[in-house]
Amino acid sequence: MRCRPVSIRRVEDELLIEWDDGYRGRIGFQKLRDACPCASCNEKRQQPPNPFRILSDAELRAGPLRPLAMPSRGSYAYQVVWSDGHDTGIYTLEMLRKLCDPA
Amino acid sequence: MSMQPQVAQQRPLPGIRHVLAVASGKGGVGKSTVAANLALTLTQQGHRVGLMDADIFGPSVPMMMGLGLVDPQTTAFPIEKYGMKLMSMGFLPDASRGILFRGPMVAKYVTLFLTQIDWGTLDLLVIDMPPGTGDAQLSLCQSVVVSGAVIVTTPQDVSLIDARKALNMFGEMRVPVLGTIENMSYFVGEDGKRYEIFRHGGGRKLAEESGVSFLGELPIDPRVAECGDSGEPMVRRYPDALVSKAYHEIAAALWKQLESQSAPAPLPQVEL
Repeated sequence: MRCRPVSIRRVEDELLIEWDDGYRGRIGFQKLRDACPCASCNEKRQQPPNPFRILSDAELRAGPLRPLAMPSRGSYAYQVVWSDGHDTGIYTLEMLRKLCDPA
Repeated sequence: MSMQPQVAQQRPLPGIRHVLAVASGKGGVGKSTVAANLALTLTQQGHRVGLMDADIFGPSVPMMMGLGLVDPQTTAFPIEKYGMKLMSMGFLPDASRGILFRGPMVAKYVTLFLTQIDWGTLDLLVIDMPPGTGDAQLSLCQSVVVSGAVIVTTPQDVSLIDARKALNMFGEMRVPVLGTIENMSYFVGEDGKRYEIFRHGGGRKLAEESGVSFLGELPIDPRVAECGDSGEPMVRRYPDALVSKAYHEIAAALWKQLESQSAPAPLPQVEL
């Protein structure tokens, strides 16, 4: 049986996730965003880092990144809607579990 | 100014007890025929059933149910026929010319059919899936909590390759696979002898190797094609045929499974 979250809530700039096998994990927002599984983020990760990248207006306006909403997707995932408008990442439960550091 | 993007909240289907996906992975194994006959059999067994055609490019439900194009301006969806509620891209006039869509449009229509159509109160919504493991399948499993899926296959190994992919996909998306059905399993000739035209046993083999139930075999009956083309499913026109009896057994087994399994609980809401 694969584990499922029992509760997910924000604590400061982290998500605190309690799993049905008793494990409690936390994921920092930046770590969560860096792992965004959407196609455009996957593509960006494959490119060499650009030290001269200029922040977009949206990024500047948004300030520190935080999730604004996390609707569930079926029985297997959550979509994360970020404060800069990015919302195409659908995180499977397996992925969230892997990202968790012990709380 | 803080940005508040529009969140596409997952909509529950409050009046629908079970959502059942009929899938195969491979095309041409008779998924739509099985979905239509299963839906009608479950209706005959006293359940309130809807049948949603998620095959946006190649809808079959209208012809199989003796329906055609309607004027969407004046028609209320879903359309009722044979005691079932039906929705299909094939009811919409644009679809008759063939559709050129990219994936996002497929996703849009599947989600629209699921969440914007007033299905009312149903015991079961049967979803006739298109072949493959792509946009329609993803949209279904992301938009609603699917109670279970059945995998239709033909007996030969070539069909099993894609059926395994479908099984894996449902596993990834945490949709319980209720079992496999072997369609075109055998043919009983006028001499009473059984002929295994497309070989035999693929459905059972797939079920055993995947640890799911084998729900049953559906024999070949040329009248199935006649019924599909004339708009009256086999189980209604020839209720005493061997294949119709097989549908009754499979439908009863399926319903039992749906009712006995613990309902997939929605995931907890995130408190942000």
